[in-house]
Amino acid sequence: MNHSEVQNLLVLGGILFAIGLIGFLTRRSLILMFLSLETMLSGVSLNLIVFSRYHQNYQGQILAVMVLTIAACEAAIALAMVVSLYRRKATLDVQAWDELSETILPKDPQGDYPGMDKEESYPKLIPAGLDPLAKPVPSSMQATIEQASSLHESKLNESKTSSAVSEVNQRA
Amino acid sequence: MNPLPIDPKNLPLVSGDEFQGNLSQILLLVILLGTAAYLLLQHGLVKSKMMAASGAALFAVAGLMAFTSIPMELESVVRMCFSILAVAGGIAFITAREPVHAALGFATAVLSACGVLFMQSAYFIAAATMIVYAGATIIIFLFVLMFAQKAKLQQYDVQLTSPVIAAAVATSLLFAIAWSVSEPGEILPVKLDLTRPYSLAAPGSAPGEAMPPVPDPAMSTEQLAEFTPGKTSGLGRSMFTDYLLAIELAGTVLLVATIGAIVLAQKPERDPS
Repeated sequence: MNHSEVQNLLVLGGILFAIGLIGFLTRRSLILMFLSLETMLSGVSLNLIVFSRYHQNYQGQILAVMVLTIAACEAAIALAMVVSLYRRKATLDVQAWDELSETILPKDPQGDYPGMDKEESYPKLIPAGLDPLAKPVPSSMQATIEQASSLHESKLNESKTSSAVSEVNQRA
Repeated sequence: MNPLPIDPKNLPLVSGDEFQGNLSQILLLVILLGTAAYLLLQHGLVKSKMMAASGAALFAVAGLMAFTSIPMELESVVRMCFSILAVAGGIAFITAREPVHAALGFATAVLSACGVLFMQSAYFIAAATMIVYAGATIIIFLFVLMFAQKAKLQQYDVQLTSPVIAAAVATSLLFAIAWSVSEPGEILPVKLDLTRPYSLAAPGSAPGEAMPPVPDPAMSTEQLAEFTPGKTSGLGRSMFTDYLLAIELAGTVLLVATIGAIVLAQKPERDPS
């Protein structure tokens, strides 16, 4: 692998990064801004792999795997956030969320979107399984619970008797 | 950290030939590309056909210039084709009006970059990138687009925030990158890294205990090919020895992100009132 090849590929990685930067700074659609971020990440992982080959070890490729992992996580989270933001204001425009930035900036005159006065709500995890503190226990689960607890008690008794036996043996 | 009785400042050189940069050519290329990107962007996407055509012409000139600067061998020509296709896909991505066309440009850019990765013998990374970016990301993106995109193009699809500043910032960044990689002597000769013994492409029979083999110009091509980090088994060896903790952490991050995505994407609960 000669030097001019390394240099060309590093410049290619830089070009991909710069394209992603332009896209991120100029685009106003939330989804396209997020895709620009992914372009920047792919430029970075190209650089890592070129250096991995140049240095003749796998360290750069491991870092590229890390970048890929984080990119996948970011894709999942970002698109889920886009969906929940869209539910709130029914637009993909990033300037609809200007109020999250500095408040001293002048407001966008055309920044009225349907559904802006909606009540805010926050995400919740759905509870799963039985609530151990809930009384009364649902009648469908009663038999199972009794069975399990009796099984547990009998096991406890068994272990107690066996330990007592071993103690007696030791004393003997 | 170095287990071998070798002075870390005196490690054997892996490849030490002097680097000849072609600085002026690459800087000219960068300026051409920056101008082409601005002409294609304009204020709001493609307002004047003339400017867009001149931007495309500038891009063609830049591509031709890049093509003539490489040696005419099969491998480098194919690599240059992939590179030009990747940059063209990226430019199409930032200048397309329709979000779906932009997504196609993104897919082109990423797939061509994967072609370059294949030629760098990073087969596993190339395949994984194709699956994650061109597969998963594009699919999720299209789902969200179907969910949220209006039938007609909206104001925010066509209007841009300050394209002049963005193009200037990106061009100067790229200028700095190109300068720092193409000045002679900026890319240092490579020394053997013994701190991660299992991550070497050719770790030898006893990694970390005996001296690993070092490439020698007298070796044959097959012997030199041993020193290319191209085996997926080698990547796995490095991943599960030297970088085991990092890989476990990456798995944890994936799990947390999955749970977070499920929580965030749920429908908000309706109030009973």
